[in-house]
Amino acid sequence: MQDDYINIILADDDEDDRLFFKDAFDELKITTKVKTFNDGVYLMDYLNDKESDLPNVLFLDLNMPRKSGIECLKEIKKNSRFKDVAIAIYSTSASEEDIENTFVMGANVYIKKPNDFKTLKKVLSEVVTINWQYHTNGLNKDNFLLRL
Amino acid sequence: MPGRILKKSWFIKSIFFICAFIILLIGGFTYVKIRDLSQSSDMLTKTYKVNVALEQIFSYLKDAETGQRGFIITNEPLYLEPYTSGRENINNSFAELKELTKDRPELQNNLKELNELIDLRMESFQKAFRFSSVGNYNDPNFKENFLNGKILMDSVRLKITKMIDFENDLLQHRQETYESNLKITPMFLYLVLLFSLMLMFVAYTKIISDLKKLKTSNEQLEIFKETANQSSIIGKHGSWMWDIDNNTFSFSDSLYRLLDEEPQSFKATIENYSKFIHPEDLEKFQKEIKKMTENKDLPFISYRVLLKNGDIRYFKAYGKTVISADRKKQMIGTVTDISDEIENYRLIEERNLELERNNKELSAFNYVASHDLQEPLRKIQTFLSRLEDKEASKFSKTGLTYIDRIKNASTRMRLLIDDLLQFSRTNRADKIFEVSNINLLLEGAKQDLAEVISEENAIIKADTFPSMKVIPFQIQQLFSNLISNSLKYRPKERNPEINITYSNVKASVEAEIIKPLTKQYHKITFTDNGIGFDNEYAQKIFVLFNRLHNKDEYSGTGIGLSICKKIVENHQGFIFAQGTPNVGAIFTVYLPVS
Repeated sequence: MQDDYINIILADDDEDDRLFFKDAFDELKITTKVKTFNDGVYLMDYLNDKESDLPNVLFLDLNMPRKSGIECLKEIKKNSRFKDVAIAIYSTSASEEDIENTFVMGANVYIKKPNDFKTLKKVLSEVVTINWQYHTNGLNKDNFLLRL
Repeated sequence: MPGRILKKSWFIKSIFFICAFIILLIGGFTYVKIRDLSQSSDMLTKTYKVNVALEQIFSYLKDAETGQRGFIITNEPLYLEPYTSGRENINNSFAELKELTKDRPELQNNLKELNELIDLRMESFQKAFRFSSVGNYNDPNFKENFLNGKILMDSVRLKITKMIDFENDLLQHRQETYESNLKITPMFLYLVLLFSLMLMFVAYTKIISDLKKLKTSNEQLEIFKETANQSSIIGKHGSWMWDIDNNTFSFSDSLYRLLDEEPQSFKATIENYSKFIHPEDLEKFQKEIKKMTENKDLPFISYRVLLKNGDIRYFKAYGKTVISADRKKQMIGTVTDISDEIENYRLIEERNLELERNNKELSAFNYVASHDLQEPLRKIQTFLSRLEDKEASKFSKTGLTYIDRIKNASTRMRLLIDDLLQFSRTNRADKIFEVSNINLLLEGAKQDLAEVISEENAIIKADTFPSMKVIPFQIQQLFSNLISNSLKYRPKERNPEINITYSNVKASVEAEIIKPLTKQYHKITFTDNGIGFDNEYAQKIFVLFNRLHNKDEYSGTGIGLSICKKIVENHQGFIFAQGTPNVGAIFTVYLPVS
């Protein structure tokens, strides 16, 4: 893991969302390395490969074919190798049920996909610049959902 | 009622015993009295006889005296005849007297004295004959003897008179007791008889009234029997009886009907009944019956029967051993055809499954609405924002207006989707009631709307609320919706003001509560100074998608107040609205005090 850029991974089955995600980071003035995967299976294959670089922040869509975000979250949290990976849930819905579930399972932040590009940029820059060590200490159910 | 009559029978029994005793008493008493009477009449006859015999003795004595005198005067032996027969007659009479008075010693003494006197007199007669036989009438001895005879005769007369007087006294005394006996006895007997007749009459009326009661209770029993019969037909149940002592069974007519057989068409036995049991249940049934014969008890059992027409019916049976009044041990049981219940249960189960499926479909729809429907919309909006950012300069003025219109439409669509989602979420069944601090929930609602509240310079005043048992997030939603409603329809010329008051009220006092669930209700009112509305729409504003204003004037989906109504109904409360155009609206919420 190099320190000069932030390693970011997004697992999302939606092509448009992956495009917005990449565009947003392209426009942000932060040195990041963004990798995207089309579903949970591709993501886990990559993560489980000992050769792969682990991300600083992992964005997980919940609703994906083959392997959902929740299943990925479960697997990641079971493996101590991923203990330093910050997990951001990145979903269209913000149902109480999903928020509570993912919080209990150990996700670090919950992001509801914004409706416009400006907000998206703001949210993403916020998330990648959080001092995760500090944030995780004061984490509770109320500040788990990212509000801007 | 029959029990009461049975208990009263001791009354009638004792009356009959008393009567029998009285009749026995009367019999005994009458016997004694009649015996006394016949004794008294015997005594009377005896006294009369004694008197007659005494008179006879005296009369024989007088005859003898007359005969002696005749002989002395005429010296004719013819006159002596009464004298000779007199002595014999007197002796006969004495014998008779002795017989009559043998139980009376005082009279016997008197008789002895009389006999001596008569002997003396007879002696004097003898002497007189001796003198007369010589014809010496002037002899002084003769004269003296004659005088002596007269004196003796006088004392005999006196003695007899005394004796007769004594007897007469006795007779009179006896007659008196006899008469008094005759007077009192029938009176007494009559009274006792009257009394016992009275008792009999009381017993008779009692029996008649008891009979009447028995008759009515018999009639009631008859009616009850018929009702039981009818209800067994309607309720589809039959009864059976097992005489444990004789090991015989009897089945009611309705039990035969349950088996679709003519009443009493086959002998009531376990074997015959078992023929109707469904083959699959037969083993279980026989096991239960075996247990029943051993324990003399039959808990609820259920089994299927197979009717001759091929129908399968579900039966439930129960039995209990009772010991009758005459110490007979018998088990009385019932059988109920529960096929309809089972069929209904199956239908309900089916419907439940269907409902469950529907619910699942609904939640799937929820998910589609919340996720899949929002996703393309979100993309439209994001692409629009990209267009605006990057390509705005390439559009004409009309093009930009179109982009603006698309933006407005998609914003409205988002609003609709969000509200619909919220509405369907308040529908959900998993509502958990907990005792909540309502003041905090109101604070939460105000925080949700903090931005609008400060933008509009709104003043919100609220009373302090007690804790209530509610679904917390729904109540916060309710408050939030009501406040945002007031802010949305704010007055243009003044700052919005919302007054929230609380009171604990009696349901009976509040005219608007029609069918109260409890006596006490929490009453929460939201009074605002907004644009209000015409009261004729007071009901309509809670209907889903119902709007009183054009969406150009006021944004809104017509869902917010429907959600409020749904939430209040979830809490089994009431919500009412009241408006005055351009003055304000009052929303009243009643929540039951648990």
